[in-house]
Amino acid sequence: MSEAPRFAPGDRVRTSTVDPDHHTRLPRYARGHVGEVVRDLGAWPLADEGAQGVPDAREEPVYTVRFAARDLWGGGDHWVTVDLWQSYLEGAS
Amino acid sequence: MSDHHPDAEIAVRVRRLEERVVAAGLTDDAELDDILTRLLAGASPLNGARIVARAWVDDDFRRRLLADASGAIADVGLSMGGGLKVQNLGVVENTASEHHVLVCTLCSCYPIGLLGPSPSWYKSEAYRARVVREPRAVLAEFGLELPDDVAITVHDTSAENRYLVLPRRPAGTEALSEAELTTMVTRNGLIGTAAV
Amino acid sequence: MSRVNDVGGQTGFGELPVEPEGPPFHADWEARVYALNGALLRRGLYNLDQFRDAVERIPPQEYLAASYYERWLLAIESLTEGRLTDV
Repeated sequence: MSEAPRFAPGDRVRTSTVDPDHHTRLPRYARGHVGEVVRDLGAWPLADEGAQGVPDAREEPVYTVRFAARDLWGGGDHWVTVDLWQSYLEGAS
Repeated sequence: MSDHHPDAEIAVRVRRLEERVVAAGLTDDAELDDILTRLLAGASPLNGARIVARAWVDDDFRRRLLADASGAIADVGLSMGGGLKVQNLGVVENTASEHHVLVCTLCSCYPIGLLGPSPSWYKSEAYRARVVREPRAVLAEFGLELPDDVAITVHDTSAENRYLVLPRRPAGTEALSEAELTTMVTRNGLIGTAAV
Repeated sequence: MSRVNDVGGQTGFGELPVEPEGPPFHADWEARVYALNGALLRRGLYNLDQFRDAVERIPPQEYLAASYYERWLLAIESLTEGRLTDV
């Protein structure tokens, strides 16, 4: 049974600033930033739990989130998308 | 020539590990050979090229590909199944005002089935570190200079979604067959480090 | 975890190692490492997330000095340590 989606394309979300002591798939450069959900990729087993050998890693929605380079690094005119599990995200106004 | 052959030392380590894995009954030579054969025979950028050529000639396929690539590629006899892990495919389309390029900054995730084994540069720290930060400069190192009014989006493959770039169909190719169009598509074009 | 593999946005890595189209494996041992990993994943000795985790845990200086498939070898060696009892 997977977690229900909390976000939809168009929503603005903020990524976690947590630096966990285990394997995770939120890159450092994308931590603590606000982006826009561009796609709902459906539910997938959470990589963090899979890496810790949890037999049935909980399935969570994964989203393609788009960030402006200017927000990530203070410069650049391009965009960066990262595919992120729901627990890496919270809603942003 | 140095007497120190690091490759030879690693080869010995690999052979020892393999012997122990086989002795533990976890695999055998036949399976190891089969794994390699499947990779070398089945995984190729020709697969990605066929998807692109079909999208260029069939607009309905192109729309379905952009909406649900995993499902659409069955049209050309391909699927995202058959690997070690279930994965999804996302196709991103280059246009006159948008260019897409792919990376996996955390390791080197790559749609091997559709593109074959990944190139060394894709796996390098230099590419993984730089393309998300200065894609224009990185693309220029590949000989791809994009006009300033073309917006670049870099896609970091951080989950089980694998990406493929749908390059722009080159001008003057209206008379070409789908098979001929397939030969125009390069692996770098499918990653986004070439125009096509 | 902020590990050495998490290089997105880092500077100082220089130019890309652009090489001409070559074979997927530069040496036979690389192909054998690839195949071994496939077999052990199939057997469920570890999963893909655990494999990536093992690669990330390679001490930073070893990680950066190691070639791609050398990292795989280091990861597989750590994941199989003490678990390959002879039949």
